[in-house]
Amino acid sequence: MALFLVNAVYALGVTPARTTIDFEPGLKKAVEFEVLNSEGKDIKLNAMVVNGELDGYIYLPVKEMFISANEKSKKFNYEINLPGSLSPGLHKGEILIIESSGESDLSQTQVLATLAVVTQLHVYVPYPGKYANADMVVYNANQGENVLFVFPVVSAGEFDLTSVRANVDIFNSMGEKVDSFTTLTIRVPSGEKKEIVYEWKADVPIGNYRATAGLIYDEGIVNLERQFTVGSRELELKEINVNNFKLGEIAKLEMLVENKWSEAISGVYIETKIKKDNGDIVSMFQSPSQSIEALSKQIFSSYWDTAGVKEGTYETEISINYADKSSKNNLKFKVEKDELVVLGLGYVVSEDSGGSKDTLVIVLVIVVVVLVLVNLLWFLIIRKRLKKK
Amino acid sequence: MNGLYKIDILVVAVSLTALIFLVGYMQPLVIAPVDSYETNSESVLFSIEKADVLLVDDNIDFTTPDEYPLEEGLKISLEPGDYYWMARGLFKSEIRTLTILSRVELELRQIDDSNYGVFNAGNVRLNVDIYNGTEFIGSKKVESNSVFPLIGDKFVGGYDE
Repeated sequence: MALFLVNAVYALGVTPARTTIDFEPGLKKAVEFEVLNSEGKDIKLNAMVVNGELDGYIYLPVKEMFISANEKSKKFNYEINLPGSLSPGLHKGEILIIESSGESDLSQTQVLATLAVVTQLHVYVPYPGKYANADMVVYNANQGENVLFVFPVVSAGEFDLTSVRANVDIFNSMGEKVDSFTTLTIRVPSGEKKEIVYEWKADVPIGNYRATAGLIYDEGIVNLERQFTVGSRELELKEINVNNFKLGEIAKLEMLVENKWSEAISGVYIETKIKKDNGDIVSMFQSPSQSIEALSKQIFSSYWDTAGVKEGTYETEISINYADKSSKNNLKFKVEKDELVVLGLGYVVSEDSGGSKDTLVIVLVIVVVVLVLVNLLWFLIIRKRLKKK
Repeated sequence: MNGLYKIDILVVAVSLTALIFLVGYMQPLVIAPVDSYETNSESVLFSIEKADVLLVDDNIDFTTPDEYPLEEGLKISLEPGDYYWMARGLFKSEIRTLTILSRVELELRQIDDSNYGVFNAGNVRLNVDIYNGTEFIGSKKVESNSVFPLIGDKFVGGYDE
């Protein structure tokens, strides 16, 4: 295989990376793919079918391809001719696309390497009878909030799944069962994907938990297990105090942070970004790094040099950083000559964005009321009077 | 009496027409992307009027949708896959589908003055087979927008399982 030369970037791409089809006996079909020429140069390519159980069923009508410099991409296709039967499950095929040796315009570049890309073909053959592929996804929540359990279920058999539900047990880190629940029952037609969703109220202590689930369908059971956390937002900004603020001087901001986690957290620091309306940063500063004991509060001090800062209201982003995590709070700083007011901590800073919706609601209500009145007026009063006459 | 029935029909017809028109007018207006839109870009631009929230889910029942507050020129990034989306305001819009096509793309990039690397410029995690001449020397998993140094002279990238 020839090596090609690059001084700057060389690129080769194909889309889609994978085409997935459901098996049909004797299916004949052309499958399109697009080769990307993001470097915009003349390239000659070879395509070949490689590495797959579907080799004998894939045919490439064009094995040598050319893309000119003015084409950002070019579409090609391969043909599939599936047999009358295949074993149940997934069958794979691959089409490799690689630059032809020594044919490119590679002048003034340096020999480095050859790139090749693959577009895959996946053919799913249904299992006989009823068959479910399932997973369990658990979204962490804070104590007292709802932990969301999602069970994506694919009916991968020949027939519909008429009754699918999950029985779930939840264990704490000591291995003790703390709760159990059963989800609603759903129906999943053959070849389709549906989701079972359950909200579990986390009335349990903060910590790590394990959920084991038996997903029960008509003719079988799928066992699933996942770890999750109650109280994932370990650190919370509770308060910001600024004493003796004078615009133009250095202000000391004392930020009170609560550790809601059951263990101490070290290496915590707070970064503050004060921005203009257009997003440009006016000032950026951070506190020294400290540790916070379990289930306790700690003050972090930051210093803001307000020299040159004008009076007004500024968007402010305060990030509490620890380990590889960052918890962001979007607030507003209202800066006055002798006062700094922090807006949005502990309550929502409202934007007047719902105006158009409110107007629509008002118009709808007025029109409905008018229509009801017109109808009542006509049918109950005017019509009766006219009828008497 | 005939005249009264005519007015009955007129009042009911006008009321119904006004209601149908009003409900139609207040439906969210989804302009872009068109239904069954396909792209190999990870970023999709939405244009929607008379709605507050965009809902995107990978199943048509919208059991666990991602919600995006609507704003001017809203662009969202999605992983490759098939999606259903709709807008929600006073009423819900029609449901449309969009597909983010998976894309395998390898780039040879200069990392510094003397070193080159192979960059995953596609939108999926890749399994890259590495060869030296015709000898297979190993495979490497490469996340999207990641680079690894040249440790062979031929690199074959495909969608990782």
